[in-house]
Amino acid sequence: MEKKNESPHYSRRQAIKLGAAALGFSTVVRAFPGLADDVISKAKIVPTGETVSGAKYKKNGPFRIGFSNGFSGNTWRTECLYTVKKEAARHKDLADFIIVDGQGDIAKQVNDIENLVSQNVDAILCIPNSGSAVAPALRDATKQGIVTVPFNLPVDGEGWTAYTGTDPQKKGFELGKWLRGALGDSGKIVALGGLPGNSYTAAAWAGAQKAMEGSKIQVLAFRDASWEEDRAKVIMADLIAAYPEIEGVWCDGSQDAAGAMKALLGAKRPLVPVTGDDYNGLLKLYDQQKANYPKFDIGLVSEPSWESVVALRIALKLLRGEDVPKRQIIEPQLITSENYKNYLRPDLADGVFVDTDLSDDELKALFKS
Amino acid sequence: MTTQTQFSNWLLHAQLIVQRTGVVWLVVILLYAVSGLFSPGMFQVSQVLNILQVAAFLGVVATGQTLALLTGGIDLSVAGVVTMSNIVSTSIMAGRDGNMVMAVATCILLAATVGLINGLMITVIRVAPLIATLGVNSILFGAALVYTHGAPHGSISPGFAVFGQGHMTVFPVSTVCWLTVALTIAWVTRQTVFGRQLYAVGANTTAARMMGIPVRRIVIIAYILSSVMAVLGGLLLTSYIGSPSLGIGDQFLLSSIAATIVGGTALTGGMGSVIGTIGGALFITELNSFTTIVRVSTGTQFVLQGAVIALSVLLYRFVGLGRASS
Repeated sequence: MEKKNESPHYSRRQAIKLGAAALGFSTVVRAFPGLADDVISKAKIVPTGETVSGAKYKKNGPFRIGFSNGFSGNTWRTECLYTVKKEAARHKDLADFIIVDGQGDIAKQVNDIENLVSQNVDAILCIPNSGSAVAPALRDATKQGIVTVPFNLPVDGEGWTAYTGTDPQKKGFELGKWLRGALGDSGKIVALGGLPGNSYTAAAWAGAQKAMEGSKIQVLAFRDASWEEDRAKVIMADLIAAYPEIEGVWCDGSQDAAGAMKALLGAKRPLVPVTGDDYNGLLKLYDQQKANYPKFDIGLVSEPSWESVVALRIALKLLRGEDVPKRQIIEPQLITSENYKNYLRPDLADGVFVDTDLSDDELKALFKS
Repeated sequence: MTTQTQFSNWLLHAQLIVQRTGVVWLVVILLYAVSGLFSPGMFQVSQVLNILQVAAFLGVVATGQTLALLTGGIDLSVAGVVTMSNIVSTSIMAGRDGNMVMAVATCILLAATVGLINGLMITVIRVAPLIATLGVNSILFGAALVYTHGAPHGSISPGFAVFGQGHMTVFPVSTVCWLTVALTIAWVTRQTVFGRQLYAVGANTTAARMMGIPVRRIVIIAYILSSVMAVLGGLLLTSYIGSPSLGIGDQFLLSSIAATIVGGTALTGGMGSVIGTIGGALFITELNSFTTIVRVSTGTQFVLQGAVIALSVLLYRFVGLGRASS
């Protein structure tokens, strides 16, 4: 599998630095020299909002940092946790890195954050279960002088110190735009989202609908499939029965996309253009089936699992007295039929999210494959 | 005869018919007819077979749940057992047919152990079934996380895919497996001494003990069977999807109970039947299918699902002794 198996991260980082300069990001990089170092894959990081002054938070180390993870149990979170623990071990002035798990429970996560405050941490990283529910707890922590860095899912208001993550609405827009192009501006599609009621899918789907405005694309149905292959397969099987003609599938996660394609295979229907993210299972399926189904195509926008590393670096920079942008929006790479082989990991588990800073050996050890 | 008397007679007549056929089958047919009106796709043979295929996973798990409920208990560990079967089987099989028997045998052995622990906690330590099995469910999920480090690996073997994806003539193999398991357990509960003792324990534990029924043994066997059924359901679902997922069992925590209750089994124990649960599993799957197909928002989907389940239980009130199949 090409060069990536030899030394993927070094070459990617180099490529990004060159690409960023060519795209005019040099000004930004001059203003925030740390930003370029934080980019791990072919993604870009775009700073927005005001600058947060590091002088306000500067402390003498060693530091204690807490990480309130909303839940664990999917492979993206596993990679995210593994990579942030590895990053934490690299910093000698980080004495204590405490990880707590909200177990998918909004109330528990709020309690977790309050417990971290009472443990006198210097900074709190957080992937919220709900962008609104954790907002008051983070605001209280911030008022007490603690650096708060939510990431992955935006938190309501401004009562936190800095944020990093992708922009779900923009991501959904990109996916919608790609699907619109793949279908030649017209066709019948179904859409599959994540956990019922989650704000990430809501924003992504809003973006997708905007991208498809004015086209002749007809949305037959939108359903939540919990980002689980089995649920997506069952739901798609029902949709296939209801709608004899499905020409495209929009998904904000590739577990849904893989489940949907497996349902089409089960129903002996041709595979169609589908969107998603950097889940290896879909890349493997595409690689196996693309020759059998000429219309099968993929348009994927990755959700980098190294967001946690960027978040930790932001917190450390502030504690060391460096300035950072209030928001750092990660703009990930579009993965299509043209470049998917650069991301595909045929020898690794389906569950691997391939936009990662972990080496193949580390991933093999993590997934025991 | 007054109009009121005529109506009363008609009501009694309708009640009698429903009692004889079993309420659950009436609601299964009603829901199917209504679904078809909303979406003609529901009437397609392929969709009927699809519903039967998908209902098999819930059906097998709910068959075990029925046994736990018949004893007057409840088994909330089925969700964890399904996840365990998915993680363990894909990890042992690792895509090779040669590992299939070992994977299935390991899962069944683990399930029997889980069932034994549930049974012992409930009968010997006297922990309430709800608490004991909920605790075991949490332990199983934690164990799956520890075992996989949150990164499950492996896949089913090509031969194993037949159980969840294959067809015997036109019928899905998963449906055939489900009906075989369910009808066997139905026969055991209706025709054997163990079955009669199971009902007796659930109806009145003290009386059953005084009659010389080995209550402790019956309850332990019921929980072992419940766990084994959960593993079989989990294996069928694993075969259907082909890969491991840590969240795969969550859906069965409440749906297995809903299918059993809708099928006519009483939460208080001693009343109900495995045959009714077949209808209950069909009903819940049909309902999910219907709410997927019908053009409503996610919120309305949940409202519809809850309302239809509540309505079906109200029907039991209407027929009074409507748990006819017991």
